[in-house]
Amino acid sequence: MGDGQESSYERREYKAGSSWGRHGPPSLYLQLPSNQTLRFRGNKAAAWGAAWEGASKPEVDPQELVPEFVGGEEEEDSKPLKELPLCLEEKRKLRVLQEQAASRLSGWELWHVWKRRTLRRVRSQASSAVAYGEMWRSTLRHIGGQFGTGIQSYFNFLRFLVLMNFVASLLVAGFVIAPNAAFEALSLNRTSHQNSSLVNEACLAYNPTPRGLVSFFSYLMDLLSGKSFMELTYLFYGYYQNSAVDFVGFSYNCPLAYVLTALFYLHFSLMWIVRRSVYCLKRSLVSEDASLGSYSNKVFAGWDFGLVERKAAQLKHNSIRYELRMDLEEEAVRRRQAEMTTAQRIRLYVLRGVLNILVVGLLGGSFYCIYLAATYSQSLLGGTDSQVKGQFVLELLVAYLPSVVITAANLIVPMIFEIIVQLEKYPLSFQIKITLLRSVFLRLASLVVLLISLWSQITCGGDPQNPECQKCGYNNHLHPCWETSVGQEMYRLMIFDLLVMLLVMLFVEFPRKLLVTAFPTCRLLKFWGQQEFVVPGNVLDLVYGQTLCWTGVLFCPLLPVLNTIKYIVVFYLKKLTLYANCRPAERTFRASSSNFFFLLVLLLGLAISCVPALYSMFVLPPSKACGPFRGEPTMWNTVSSAISELPRTARDFFGYVGSIAFAVPLFLLLSILMFFLKALADSYSSVVKGLKWQLRLEGQDKLFLVKQISELSQ
Amino acid sequence: MGASGSRLPRDLLGEYQELTFLTKQEILLAHKRFSELLPKEDRDQAFTTRIPKSKILMLPELRANPFRHRICHVFSTTDDREGGLSFEDFLDMLSVFSDSATPEIKSHYAFRIFDFDDDGTLDKKDLENLVNCLTGEGEDSRLSAMEMDQLIQNILEESDIDKDGTINLSEFQHIISRSPDFTSSFKIVL
Repeated sequence: MGDGQESSYERREYKAGSSWGRHGPPSLYLQLPSNQTLRFRGNKAAAWGAAWEGASKPEVDPQELVPEFVGGEEEEDSKPLKELPLCLEEKRKLRVLQEQAASRLSGWELWHVWKRRTLRRVRSQASSAVAYGEMWRSTLRHIGGQFGTGIQSYFNFLRFLVLMNFVASLLVAGFVIAPNAAFEALSLNRTSHQNSSLVNEACLAYNPTPRGLVSFFSYLMDLLSGKSFMELTYLFYGYYQNSAVDFVGFSYNCPLAYVLTALFYLHFSLMWIVRRSVYCLKRSLVSEDASLGSYSNKVFAGWDFGLVERKAAQLKHNSIRYELRMDLEEEAVRRRQAEMTTAQRIRLYVLRGVLNILVVGLLGGSFYCIYLAATYSQSLLGGTDSQVKGQFVLELLVAYLPSVVITAANLIVPMIFEIIVQLEKYPLSFQIKITLLRSVFLRLASLVVLLISLWSQITCGGDPQNPECQKCGYNNHLHPCWETSVGQEMYRLMIFDLLVMLLVMLFVEFPRKLLVTAFPTCRLLKFWGQQEFVVPGNVLDLVYGQTLCWTGVLFCPLLPVLNTIKYIVVFYLKKLTLYANCRPAERTFRASSSNFFFLLVLLLGLAISCVPALYSMFVLPPSKACGPFRGEPTMWNTVSSAISELPRTARDFFGYVGSIAFAVPLFLLLSILMFFLKALADSYSSVVKGLKWQLRLEGQDKLFLVKQISELSQ
Repeated sequence: MGASGSRLPRDLLGEYQELTFLTKQEILLAHKRFSELLPKEDRDQAFTTRIPKSKILMLPELRANPFRHRICHVFSTTDDREGGLSFEDFLDMLSVFSDSATPEIKSHYAFRIFDFDDDGTLDKKDLENLVNCLTGEGEDSRLSAMEMDQLIQNILEESDIDKDGTINLSEFQHIISRSPDFTSSFKIVL
C-alpha cells in the first residue's frame, strides 16, 4: 500500500502541476502541509491517519495508528465508521484494527464503546422503522424523481396536514363524541347545571327539526347546507348536552371536556408546527453576515440527483440555465437602478405608490363584497319569516353565497396582482415574493372579514343595548343558536372549497390539456400553454382549508374528521392532475426555503383562527337554547367553576398562574433572555468577520512567501 | 437458494449495514440490481466481478445525470481510467447518496465529484466544467463567455474565503453547510 500511495501522489502532483503555473514551480506549493491534508483525504486509510500526523507516512504502523482512532481524537473516536469518507475495503480494515484495539481496552472503556455502539444501532433501527411506516413514501419519491423536489415538497406538506388532522380527529372523537354517544346509548343519568330561572322564554325557542314530509331532494339540500336535520347531529355544537355524567364513581363533565379538547387541539397544532418549522429552519439558517450565497447554492446544490426521467432532466437543465441567466440579468438591472438619476427614481416611486393604492383599493373592494354577501346570506337564512324558506335551490344558493364570493375574489384578484406587479419594475425574485405576500393577505383577510360580518350580526354590531340583542345578549331572532350558524358557515366553506377544486380540475385543466395537445399549431393555444403546477398557490389553498378547520372546531367538532377525508381526496386529485395535465414550472420552487415559508403561513393561519375561538370562549354569551354551555354566562365559566371545585392548593396554583403577578415577571425574563441571545449572536458575527479577514491575510502571506522562496531558490 | 436476496451471506449483510448508511432492504435491492447488470453466467460471482463503466452508466438512476462519468470515476477503486465499479464500490456510492448519510460525507464526495481535474481544489476551470454540466449538453445550451465569467466571479466572491482564486475542501464544506437545498438534492435512491 505504501508504494502505491507514493506513486499515486506523484501522478497527482504531475497532473496538478500544469494548473499551478501562475504560482511558480509546482513542487514547493504542493509541499505545504495545508495542501497535503486537504488534498488526499481519499480512499486510503493510511492517508486518513497520516493527516493527523501532519505529514504523509509511507508505512502504516497498526500499533501507532490505532490509538489515534480509539483513544486519541475525540471527534474521530465517537464517529462511527460509516461516516468516514473511505471506500468499503478501507473501512473494513479500520474496523479490524479498531476491534484489535478494543480487545486491549479495560472493562470500563469497553462498556462505554459497547454502549455507544448499541445506542447508535437502536437509533438507526428506530428511524428506519419510522421511515418504513411513512404513508405514501414511494409516491412522493416518484413525484420527486419526475418533477423535482419543489413539487415534492408540496405533497410532503399535504401529507403532514393529513397526519395532523387525523390525530386531531382521534382526539375529538375520543374525548367529545365517543363519550357523548356512549352516554346517550347507555341512557345514563345526566345531571345538568342549569339555572334557567332568570332566562327569557323567547331565548329558549329553538327547534330545527324538519316539519312534515321531507323529500329526498330537500334532504340532499340540507346535507349540503348543514341545516335542519344536520343541526341535530354530532356535527354541530347545538346538539351537545350541557350535562355531566356520573358513572361508577367517576364523573365525566361533558361541557368541560368539549372546551378543553378544543383548546388542547389548537395548542397541540401549534406545538407540532413549531417543532417542524424549527427543524426546517435549522437547514435554512441565516448566515452570520446575511449573505445567503445564492449563486453558490444554485450551482453546487443545483442539480437534483434524484431525477430519473430524461425529459425531466432536460427540463431541469433548462430551468437551471434560465434561473442563472435571470439572476445575472437581475444583478445587471439592480446595478443600473442604483445608478438612476433622482428624477427617474422619483418617477418610479410615484408609480409604485399609485399601484400600491390600487392594490389596497382592490383588496378593500373585495372585502366589502364579502361583507355584503355574508350579511345578506345570513339575514335571508336565519329567522322563521324569511322569503326563501321552502324554495330549496334558492335557499342553497343563498347559503353558499359567501363561499362563492370568497372563491371568486381569490381567483380573480391574484391575476390582477400579477399584472400590476409587472408594472412595478421590481427585480424578479422580489416580484414573486410580493405577489405571494399579497395573495396570502387576501386569502386570510377574506376569512377574517367573513367572521367579522358574522360577529356583527350575532352581537348586533357589539352593541348590547340594541333592541334585537337586549333580550338574550345575542341576536336570537336571526340566530337562535349562533354557534351552530358559525359552524354551518365553516362547514359550507369547506365543502365548497373541495367542490371548486374538483370543478376547476374537470372543467379547466383537463379541457386545457386536451385542447393544447389536439391543436398544437394554434398560436393562441400555444401562448396559453399547458397548466403549470404552481406550488405557492396550491399551498395557500391548503393553508386556507386548515385555517377553516381550526376556526370551526369549537362550533363543529367533526370538522377535523371531514378535513382529513378532504385532504386525502385532494392528495389523489392533485396527483392525478399533476401527472395528466401539468408541465413543470419554468422557474422551479426551491424545496427548503419554501418549506419554512409554508409553515410560517400555516402559523399565521393558526393565529388568525385562534382569535374567534378565544373570543367566543371568553367574551360572547353562549346560546341559551342549545349546546353544552346553555345557562352559563360564558364558555370559560365551566372551566373556572371546575377549578373552584379542586382542592385548595391546586386552586391557589391556578389562581397564581393566571394572575398578573406571574405573567409580568415571566415576560420580563423572556425579554432579557432574548436581548442576551441577540448580543451573543452579534458578538459571534463580529468574531467570524475578524477571522475571515485574518484568513484572507494569511492566504496573501502564503502566496507572497512562496513567490519569494521560489525566486530566491532560482 | 433460488432468490438472489438469499444469496447474500448474513454476516456480510450485517457488515455492510454497519459500514454503510444503507438499510437491509436497500442492500438487498442493490444486490439485485447489480446482479441484473451482469450477464447470466457471472451472476453467482457478483462480489468479485467488476462491471464496466459503460454498463453502470445505463442504470436509469444515472442515465440522465450529467455527473455520471465523474460519479463512476470517484467511486471506482481501481486505478484504471475506464475501470468499473465492483459491488462494494456500488454500495459505497449508494451509501453516500442515501437518505441517512450525513451532510459532511455528502459534501466531501460532492467536492470530489465536482473536482474535474482531481487536484484537490475547485479552480476556475473546474467551475466552468461544472456550470456547463448543469446547463445541459449541447453547444446552444451553454452560457455566453461573459455570463460565465460573471457567474464564476460571483461564486468565488461568495465561497473563496482566503481569496486565493480556488475553493478548497474546507471552503466548499462551509458554503454547503449554509446551503439549505443540498441534502435534499444530493440523493439517489434505487
